[in-house]
Amino acid sequence: MNARQHQFEALARAHAADLFRFAWWLCGQEALAQDLVQETMLRAWKNLDSLRDAAAAKPWLLTILRREHARLYERKRLDLVELDDNVAEPAAWADPERQGSTAEIRRAMWKLPKKYREPLLLQTLGGFSCEEIAAELGSKPGAVMTQLFRARQQLKALLEEGNGREVVHGLS
Amino acid sequence: MDCLEFRRILAATPRAQDPAMGAHRNACPACQSAWEQAQRFEDELLGALQVPVPEGLTERILLAQTTGRRQRSARGRRGLLALAASLLVALGLGAATWQQIDARSLPALAVAHMPPEISSLALTQPISAQAVANGFAGRNLPLPGPVPAGTTYVHDCMVGPYPAVHMVTRRDGEPVVVLYLPDKRVARARNFARHGWVGREMPLDRGSLVLLTNGGNRAPFHAVASAWRQAIEGTHLSFVHEPLAP
Repeated sequence: MNARQHQFEALARAHAADLFRFAWWLCGQEALAQDLVQETMLRAWKNLDSLRDAAAAKPWLLTILRREHARLYERKRLDLVELDDNVAEPAAWADPERQGSTAEIRRAMWKLPKKYREPLLLQTLGGFSCEEIAAELGSKPGAVMTQLFRARQQLKALLEEGNGREVVHGLS
Repeated sequence: MDCLEFRRILAATPRAQDPAMGAHRNACPACQSAWEQAQRFEDELLGALQVPVPEGLTERILLAQTTGRRQRSARGRRGLLALAASLLVALGLGAATWQQIDARSLPALAVAHMPPEISSLALTQPISAQAVANGFAGRNLPLPGPVPAGTTYVHDCMVGPYPAVHMVTRRDGEPVVVLYLPDKRVARARNFARHGWVGREMPLDRGSLVLLTNGGNRAPFHAVASAWRQAIEGTHLSFVHEPLAP
């Protein structure tokens, strides 16, 4: 195995799970999230020589993933799916482990506007700093601080609010 | 750092490792409590965001990558083979085309004309000017100038598709074949050598001359060509000879 292949395998083993979670929270569909991760990693393989710093690997991969997701959105123009009580939840949601506060937080997360959810995901799952999020989203660090503040405020408010009719994602 | 600033940063970046925040926490129990509450919420949030990862995801990524790489390599090899095959076909076609073009060239036609006429080179007795004029008349061609001395043979022939008058003129004991093709005019004078023959093709006012010697050299070509040009064109006493290596 050559060094490049070795590097790629190390990347895949270290970051595939985080990429999948991030992808899942972007699109809300397991199969689509897996496809996004595959596309991301194949693109990463093609551009592996541009990755110089191991510490930059995760933000680099997440950036690729976001772009792949945006491309998908441009191609397919996926519609919002309104989920009501009669629509069966995805199997993943039926997991007993998802009950209680974890499930509530997940439901609340999907209710967050994208402009709040995405920086929160980049910070929490991606480990991005405000400056990095700002660079990723083409925003300013001060604006990102505000978005993160409001994201948590809304999330807490939603959790306190309890149940309600929910709009679940697809690509929102 | 005051409480307001602490709470503002905590609300946006609860995991911040700012030393100033640490110092404030140590000094402010209320903010310490808020920080602990925020950490619990972050733990819950992170736990909620950690959706289960499908089994074998990494292996599928690696499989797709290695398979894709092999497919690309195979495609690359197939592409190279196809390119090489295309080049060979192109070279073959090019060579065949070149052979076709070359076979129709005046030097090729002239040399191909010679084997049946090879005995004409052995003639040493000069023929009369009238005999030469008759040979030209057979092609309905005038011969207004003087017949070159040492002309031992004349015949109206076909050189490939072109009507021609075939002469042999001796210079310094060596026979020089002269083919006059009134209906074929080459663009410029050019030496050639093929199949043991050395030759030169050259344009006239009307048609062309081709001179050949069998295994000899081109030294007599200039004098023989000048003489035949004067014979054929009549008014010219000499012609501008394009510089060519002898």
